Amino acid sequence: MQRALVAVVALGVAGGLLGAWIVLRRLAFFAHAAGSATFPGLVVAGPWGIAPPLAALGAGLAFAGLLSRLTRRAGTSADAATGLLLAAALALGSVLASDVYSSGAGVDRLLFGTLLGVSDRDLWLAGGVAVLAVVASAALARTWLATGFDPSAAPALGVDGARGDRLLLALLAATVVAALPAVGALLVSALLVIPAATARLLSGSLRGLLVAGVGLAVTEGVTGLLLAYHLDLPPGPAIAVVGGALFALVVGTRAIVAPRARETLA
Amino acid sequence: MSAASVEVSGLSAAYAPGPPALRDVSFSALGGQAVAVLGPNGGGKTTLFRALLGEIAVVSGRITLGGHAAYVPQTERARLDFPVSALDVALMGAYARTRWYRRVSANDRRLAHEALARVGLEDHARKRFGTLSGGQRQRALIARALVQDAGVLLLDEPFAGVDRVSEQAIMEMFDTLRAEGRVLLIATHDIEQARRWDRVLCLRGVQVAYGPPDTTLSTEVLEATYGAEIVVLEDGARAIAVQHHDHAH
Amino acid sequence: MEILHSTLLQRALLEVVVLGAACGALGVWLLHLRNAYAAESLAHAMLPGLVIASLTGAPLVLGAAGGVLVAAVLIALAARDSNVGAEIAVAITVTTAFGLGAVLALSPEVPARLGDLLFGDLLGASSGDIAVACGLAALIAVALALGHRQLSLSVFDPVAARSLGGRPQRVELALLALLAVAVVAAVQGLGNLLVFALLVAPAAAAMRLGTSVRAQLALGSALGSLAGLLGMIASAELAIAAGASVALASVALFVLALLVRPAQGAAVDGATRRSAIDALSARR
Repeated sequence: MQRALVAVVALGVAGGLLGAWIVLRRLAFFAHAAGSATFPGLVVAGPWGIAPPLAALGAGLAFAGLLSRLTRRAGTSADAATGLLLAAALALGSVLASDVYSSGAGVDRLLFGTLLGVSDRDLWLAGGVAVLAVVASAALARTWLATGFDPSAAPALGVDGARGDRLLLALLAATVVAALPAVGALLVSALLVIPAATARLLSGSLRGLLVAGVGLAVTEGVTGLLLAYHLDLPPGPAIAVVGGALFALVVGTRAIVAPRARETLA
Repeated sequence: MSAASVEVSGLSAAYAPGPPALRDVSFSALGGQAVAVLGPNGGGKTTLFRALLGEIAVVSGRITLGGHAAYVPQTERARLDFPVSALDVALMGAYARTRWYRRVSANDRRLAHEALARVGLEDHARKRFGTLSGGQRQRALIARALVQDAGVLLLDEPFAGVDRVSEQAIMEMFDTLRAEGRVLLIATHDIEQARRWDRVLCLRGVQVAYGPPDTTLSTEVLEATYGAEIVVLEDGARAIAVQHHDHAH
Repeated sequence: MEILHSTLLQRALLEVVVLGAACGALGVWLLHLRNAYAAESLAHAMLPGLVIASLTGAPLVLGAAGGVLVAAVLIALAARDSNVGAEIAVAITVTTAFGLGAVLALSPEVPARLGDLLFGDLLGASSGDIAVACGLAALIAVALALGHRQLSLSVFDPVAARSLGGRPQRVELALLALLAVAVVAAVQGLGNLLVFALLVAPAAAAMRLGTSVRAQLALGSALGSLAGLLGMIASAELAIAAGASVALASVALFVLALLVRPAQGAAVDGATRRSAIDALSARR
């Protein structure tokens, strides 16, 4: 249990930081889809003898690669392509799990996370990703902000937008994979999107968004974990519900206290 | 058709709750007149059109239209990937008068074919809209306005990106439309072209001036409209605006 | 072939072919109006409704309808805050609803067939389910036929739509309502994770191949039904789950369409080079 808590704190740091960029660069759907797309990888990891994070990463990269090809070369719209690949990944995973490898009840763990058996490797991964997120956020904040605001102007500002974007996507992939054991493939948004979106309502500055995002992510992660422990549930759904409730609270409070609040960030 | 008219007084319009995008516009135009609507990007030309179409909210003031208003938008903005034919587009002009449970009438189909013939597109009736040239697309949209039997045509930069042949055809079309008693409002960036029409309306978030081009298009008015350095060439016949990139749209 | 001998399979086949036809056509409009994200999200967000229906023994259709309604209302409420925006509102509502559904389904004292709700239980379809599916599919077909002109206007020229007799806002709402109907009809058989495949994949294939709107709609319907047929045959012959099989068949048809027409023109608003992230982020 202690290991799970440490892992969740680390994931909260990574998720809170990365989440700010996901929200600012409108990658929420992509993040969710990327997480779900790792499902087939996770299913075959055991039977094929591959380390789950590796299998998940492979599936996630395949997803991102196919998505990019579909939208850029084949002219499919991003939301259609994302949804298509997502459904395909889930269908494939479900067939592999129920009919090929008979994973049975293990599927719940893959889809929604687990409290038990946080391995050393999972802890290292979570910690590593947290460190990466802090470093990358500090180093690349300007780049990511400039590229997001006005991609065409970025080169003129001396900012390498393309490389910055690749690094952002790489960090996103790593964080998603690291979060899978804790929250499961279907609910990575619980740590990567919800806290940051809530933070955005509380803070008008980038720094505020990052700090509040981390604070909320860690709080929601720990609370959800404890709830899951006491109610004997998988952690993913518990964290998601805590996060959603907090978001609803903030939105509701804003509606009462400051209707028509109009400040937007970046 | 009987003569159309447009009368606008004290118009302010907004896209959403908030400050109006366009303020204090007052002008009137009668059938047979063409009005150039001049102004920088974001200055309110499209806002005016959308207000006249009833598509955005009027905050204050009044619009009185004699006749239907039809919109001929810039075709770069239209959905070129939506697979409709030129004939389909012309037929859209009849939708407003077709009941939801009925098919478009045979009479309206005939009108659509005739409209396409009038704009010189009868050979392209079945071709996909997205595969037509810029000028042909403009003409198809004008055909749509004809089918609408619109007295007031709102044309958003009709000559932008249009080939010579189409430009000529469209100019002749305009003369015919005016002779039929319709009102044309032509949003344009081309100051030279604006001089050819009957009236010019200068907008920059507010109405700067309105009147016949000769008396209205003075250097002061142009500067007030474009809010920039005006370089006047060729004895005042041509003016080039050096536009500062303004983020406040 | 086994499918020729089993009434059970034949009934499931009927349901999925009918649903495929309706979803295929509806999907074409969803894609033209860039509403695929909404489709996916509504399907996901209805999970709590499904779970509650399953636990209380109420008809699944009712749970689905209730779930969709609540989700739509919550999304609308969240999106009203100007700092939230539609994409985030949807993402949060979906994730939270999904989490809630899972919490309800996995609480140990109460059994719930979460797997069936997620991935569908096509072979468990009762006559009632099939009747409902057929009825709703017919409703969708009629609505699309009557609303064809309105839909065309909303896609082609939303600004001029009102001057042409169109009501773009009503169209938006009506399409979402039809979407909800389709998802409710199909969720029993395909589960709320896979429903989306039938809505989007055959339609995406049809849009690559069809050269007019009517052709795309007809093709979408045909491919949707074909996906249902092929999926059921594969399921019966290869002994794999029916719902997933249909979903994979849909995607396979899209892949075929991709091979037939590999490159389509650049997106309308995309003469500019898009950054890697812009290509991945789902904008309207």
